[in-house]
Amino acid sequence: MKVALLRLGLLAALLAVWELAGRAANPLLAVPPSAVVPALRDLLLLRSYPRLPASLWLTVREIGVAYALAVAAGLGCGFALGMNRLLGRAWGPMIAALYAVPAVVWYPSLMLFFGLDAASKIAFGFLLGFFPITLAVLAGVRQVNPHLVLVARAYGAGVVVVFFRVMLPSMLFTLVGGLRTGLALSVIGVVVGEILGSKDGMGALINHAYGLLRTGDYVALVLVTLLLVVGSDVLASGLERRARRWSE
Amino acid sequence: MAPGTMTTSRALQLATVLAGLALWELAARSAWVDPLFVPAPSAVARALAGNTGPVLAGLGDTLAKTAAAYVLSVVLGVSAGIAVGSLRLLRDVLSPYVIALYGMPKILVLPWIVLLLGYGTAPAVFYGALHGLFPILVLVMGAVRDVDRNLVTVARSLGATPWQLYWKVLLPAIVPSVLAGMRLGIVFCLLGVLVVEMFAGVRGMGYVMGSLANGFQAPELFAATALVSATSIAIVLGLDHVNDRLSRWRG
Repeated sequence: MKVALLRLGLLAALLAVWELAGRAANPLLAVPPSAVVPALRDLLLLRSYPRLPASLWLTVREIGVAYALAVAAGLGCGFALGMNRLLGRAWGPMIAALYAVPAVVWYPSLMLFFGLDAASKIAFGFLLGFFPITLAVLAGVRQVNPHLVLVARAYGAGVVVVFFRVMLPSMLFTLVGGLRTGLALSVIGVVVGEILGSKDGMGALINHAYGLLRTGDYVALVLVTLLLVVGSDVLASGLERRARRWSE
Repeated sequence: MAPGTMTTSRALQLATVLAGLALWELAARSAWVDPLFVPAPSAVARALAGNTGPVLAGLGDTLAKTAAAYVLSVVLGVSAGIAVGSLRLLRDVLSPYVIALYGMPKILVLPWIVLLLGYGTAPAVFYGALHGLFPILVLVMGAVRDVDRNLVTVARSLGATPWQLYWKVLLPAIVPSVLAGMRLGIVFCLLGVLVVEMFAGVRGMGYVMGSLANGFQAPELFAATALVSATSIAIVLGLDHVNDRLSRWRG
């Protein structure tokens, strides 16, 4: 209780300091909270950016496609490498090494291939989501106790039954964690791609507001985008909890 | 792992890379892919060899900014992590904010940072440090929280001063987490610096790569991408090596 009050108090104090300092300094650059509230109202009433619903929907679709591709490719690659010991040993470390490269180095090449439209954002979101999912599947397959698989097979369980009854439950923890990280990174990939250069989507609106020094609108757009980011993570953590309950 | 499997996987890794390069070269030469977008590896190598001056200057600039951002994020991350981690009330109040900021896509505040700090070096160092700070802070906070209470109690009852408690008990206990944070942090710092250079750069690799992409200079772009990736992998492997040596020394 006391901690919750202190948390709220800290937030309120920060907003108050920001408000006062922002007014005293340059309100256009510092964007005090009082300037954000009317901008947010105008944005949500579609007065400042009538394109908001269309742009938001485009960004959501880009994230959806990027994540679906990342899940499909990550599960495929992860299981292929996990089931084959030799390939897993050889290629697993290579994938892990590529994961150590700051992913944004690939973005200019993707922009060159796919242009400024949605395709380059989808490709970047896919790329960011792909690695954690693949590595999580790889780690998960290694967690499965081979004796359990052997015993199940000896008692006559088929490959499909072994997969769903033995392997999946014992690797679910790692797998679901990887899927959640993958979603977070796919979302970040699409947003980063849009801000680094795009014609439509939330990133394009943010850049438009920033370029015209409409800072109140800029902060309002950032808040709406943050809602999308937080919403996707809340959804993912809910699914994660359900999956974990199922595995226990 | 048996030495035999080790060499087999090394051989397989080498074979994969060579086969990939050969296939790529073949695809580009026989025009299965458009060389305007996917230049042959040989063209990339030529571009790298013929363009070393500006590319190395860009890389040096990026690495200098990354180093400054890294020092900032390690110093701030470790000291704030120790402070917040060891004071219970501070930790309880701040940790949800720290976790939220860690997970938030920082690119959303980048336009604002550029408005406040302008183009060039300052926003790159600031944004790079912002990127590197959170993984280090989160890891160190957790490590300080999880220091064995018995060790602290024993040291206290033997009459250790607070200073001795920090220096002799706490610091040695959190070293592995600090090192893990430093390994994560360097990639995050480099990422942050490159993003700023692409968004609002006037120099550096991110800027170079952005303009190469806009100019459709694919061989030069691929060469620059390969160079930055190789540098980053080398830095991380170097840190891993130092980590290994340190942990062997710690026993």
